[in-house]
Amino acid sequence: MDNKGSSQKGSLLLLLLLVSNLLLCKSVASLPICPSGAVNCQVSLRDLFDRAVILSHYIHNLSSEMFNEFDKRYAQGRGFITKAINSCHTSSLSTPEDKEQAQQVHHEVLLSMILGVLRSWNDPLYHLVTEVRGMQEAPDAILSRAIEIEEQNKRLLEGMEKIVGQVHPGVKENEVYSVWSGLPSLQMADEDTRLFAFYNLLHCLRRDSHKIDSYLKLLKCRIIYDSNC
Amino acid sequence: MIHFLWKEKGANMKENVASTVVFILLLFLNTNLLNGQSPPGKPEIFKCRSPEKETFTCWWKPGADGGLPTNYTLTYHKEGETFTHECPDYKTGGPNSCYFNKKHTSIWTIYIITVNATNQMGSSSSDPRYVDVTYIVEPDPPVNLTLELKQPEDRKPYLWIKWFPPTLVDVRSGWLTLQYEIRLKPEKAAEWETHFAGQQTQFKILSLYPGQKYLVQVHCKPDHGFWSEWSPESSIPIPNDFSMTDATVWIFVAVLSAVICLIMVWAVALKGYSMVTCILPPVPGPKIKGFDTHLLEKGKSEELLSALGCQDFPPTSDCEDLLVEFLEVDDSGDQQLMPAHSKEHPGQGVKPTHSDPDSDSGRGSCDSPSLLSEKCDEPRANPSKFHTPEGLEKAEKPETNVTQPQGPQSTSVEGKIPSFHVSGSQSSTWPLLQPPGLHYSRSSYHSVADVCKLGLGTAGAASTLLDKTDTRALKPSQTIETGGEGKAAEHGESESFHSKTDQDAARLLPQDKTPLTSAKHLEYVEIHKVSKDGALALLPKQNENSGRAEKTSTPETSKEYSKVSRVMDSNILVLVQDRRAQNLAPFEEPAKEAPPPLPQNPAAVDLASFPAAPSNCRLQLGGLDYLHPTGFMHPFQ
Repeated sequence: MDNKGSSQKGSLLLLLLLVSNLLLCKSVASLPICPSGAVNCQVSLRDLFDRAVILSHYIHNLSSEMFNEFDKRYAQGRGFITKAINSCHTSSLSTPEDKEQAQQVHHEVLLSMILGVLRSWNDPLYHLVTEVRGMQEAPDAILSRAIEIEEQNKRLLEGMEKIVGQVHPGVKENEVYSVWSGLPSLQMADEDTRLFAFYNLLHCLRRDSHKIDSYLKLLKCRIIYDSNC
Repeated sequence: MIHFLWKEKGANMKENVASTVVFILLLFLNTNLLNGQSPPGKPEIFKCRSPEKETFTCWWKPGADGGLPTNYTLTYHKEGETFTHECPDYKTGGPNSCYFNKKHTSIWTIYIITVNATNQMGSSSSDPRYVDVTYIVEPDPPVNLTLELKQPEDRKPYLWIKWFPPTLVDVRSGWLTLQYEIRLKPEKAAEWETHFAGQQTQFKILSLYPGQKYLVQVHCKPDHGFWSEWSPESSIPIPNDFSMTDATVWIFVAVLSAVICLIMVWAVALKGYSMVTCILPPVPGPKIKGFDTHLLEKGKSEELLSALGCQDFPPTSDCEDLLVEFLEVDDSGDQQLMPAHSKEHPGQGVKPTHSDPDSDSGRGSCDSPSLLSEKCDEPRANPSKFHTPEGLEKAEKPETNVTQPQGPQSTSVEGKIPSFHVSGSQSSTWPLLQPPGLHYSRSSYHSVADVCKLGLGTAGAASTLLDKTDTRALKPSQTIETGGEGKAAEHGESESFHSKTDQDAARLLPQDKTPLTSAKHLEYVEIHKVSKDGALALLPKQNENSGRAEKTSTPETSKEYSKVSRVMDSNILVLVQDRRAQNLAPFEEPAKEAPPPLPQNPAAVDLASFPAAPSNCRLQLGGLDYLHPTGFMHPFQ
């Protein structure tokens, strides 16, 4: 009798353990992409990602062109590159530095990192536009691209927030971003200092836009196409 | 002495040794200089490249080696670090290269790389090179390029090109996105034909020249990097019968359409005219009674015109006035013409006017479908507008001897006018044809060549219709009976209708009109009024010299030829008196769409206010239309 009872208890316990294990496994291993109940979630998430990738690709192209234009015009022979080492304000945000690291980061974390970088650039982009306008012989190629990048960056931010809302709904994220303090340098009277400040800003923008583009493409292939792009 | 010698020898030996040593040293130096050994020259890093954004390689170019074996080392440090590293792999990338594997590669980081050359004599360093792996991505060419000729049953044949991305590039995870471009050419061609293939790894070529061997290559580009090298060539021969079916079908279609075109052209050529007439029935030209083609041919314009009652040719300037004056028909019995504001033509004499007892002075009734399209119950124009044709004729009498009773002629003309109208006249260009005014219009229009033509034309057409006994004639007024007086007048008048134009001249009344049986003498009749039921009330012409006057009472002695008895010879109206026609119902205003204003002729304003009659109005004379001078005038101004 006792044996039977204890064996029954044991089997029940075992059953409980199994069930709880299963539940736990489920909850840890696969977080649902779409919140339960959202019927059209998957399709619209694909659209959101497609649009985000297009925007990030476009922004990086513009940044690259803008940097090359500035480099050609103002930075020849000044050796700015030697000074633009470790000078980006977003380096405080710890972001993955290669493919392996990026693939090991969970997509929600990666999304918040992207958001952090995007938010960090709101202020600098705004001032970039203002200051480029104030440059003597403000080159239209640079100014027009700066304006466009500022615009598209806002749209990308909105899109990313929507994606986060779908992928990671309900979680209140801390809005972590880096503060930019390079405005005084942009307004310096000394031409060399000012030009270097611009160079540095454009250099960091080119890099960060490439980072965001790479992360987004990774995420898109991972989430939408299940790593089978 | 010997001691002294020994001492000298010793000194000499010392000197010898010293100089030898010096000599040897100098020799040594010389030989060294002759060899050219020196510290190494400055090397230069000329290329760094990453094939997949995960590793990268840098190559340098050595400087002068100074004639001695030189050792090269590559050192670098990363952005944000102070620690200097040495190249982890000098072998993988080939000679004078350094390969950074995945472990040693960080993206979005600047590497500051330097190459040092060292030899026995010294060393030198290259300029530091700042490298960010992000911007040096250049993949390998795509691999496994395969070509396949596909000829499906129901579609055009094509060349199917397939390839794979380079092996090192990780496309599946999205780390790199590749875009491809293929190029192909026939073996012996000089230029490549390039096609952009996007992100797909296959491509179909549809347009190929058969019987040639094609060479194909492909290369790729990452999303923010450089184009790779072209892959090795793949070749494929295209068989001769490739895509021939395409051409045969097109040839067949072309031949068939050519044959059809030829047939159509031939049919048109043979029966062109009848087809054209079928599609576009000819517009009957206007006919003018009394128009004599022979006269026209003979070139006797004066006779021609005078026969038609036209004053003179070329036109004079005040034709409009004549027009206005002589188009008014007044059936009140007043023989006077009542031109509105037209000046008196010197040669015209007094223009008789007729007042309309019932204020319905002989304007054409509104039954013509084409001419009289407006309401016919609009207030009539100033009845004084109407002049009897007779009056008009009379005015021109000096030159003509053709003033004739308008009635029969006009009636006949009138009878046909609507149908004539129907046949082809535009309302705006064919103003109301007034039977009484017809002559006048013609007469007065003679001074304006076109207008005259028109007037004559209308009459001519009417007579043509008459000639043809056109069934389109509206009213039973086809049968026109004429009184005795009318006949001859009509006959004579017919001669006056020779149009000076060539509008169906041949169809006008022949010269030798058969006089009406009962025609005895010429008598001028003026149209008294046109009654509702198509009866023409004619009066003997009286008082032609009455000046412009308002309507006067109907003369008591008027005989009314208000009934058409028959049509003779298809161009002569036979009118008879109609006793009962005393109380002709007033006819309604002829319907006519509002003619365009005539700024040049204010006198015609009243006429211009002619309303058009709806179709339910009746023509007074079975289709009588009034010729509106303003309408006439306008197109020709």
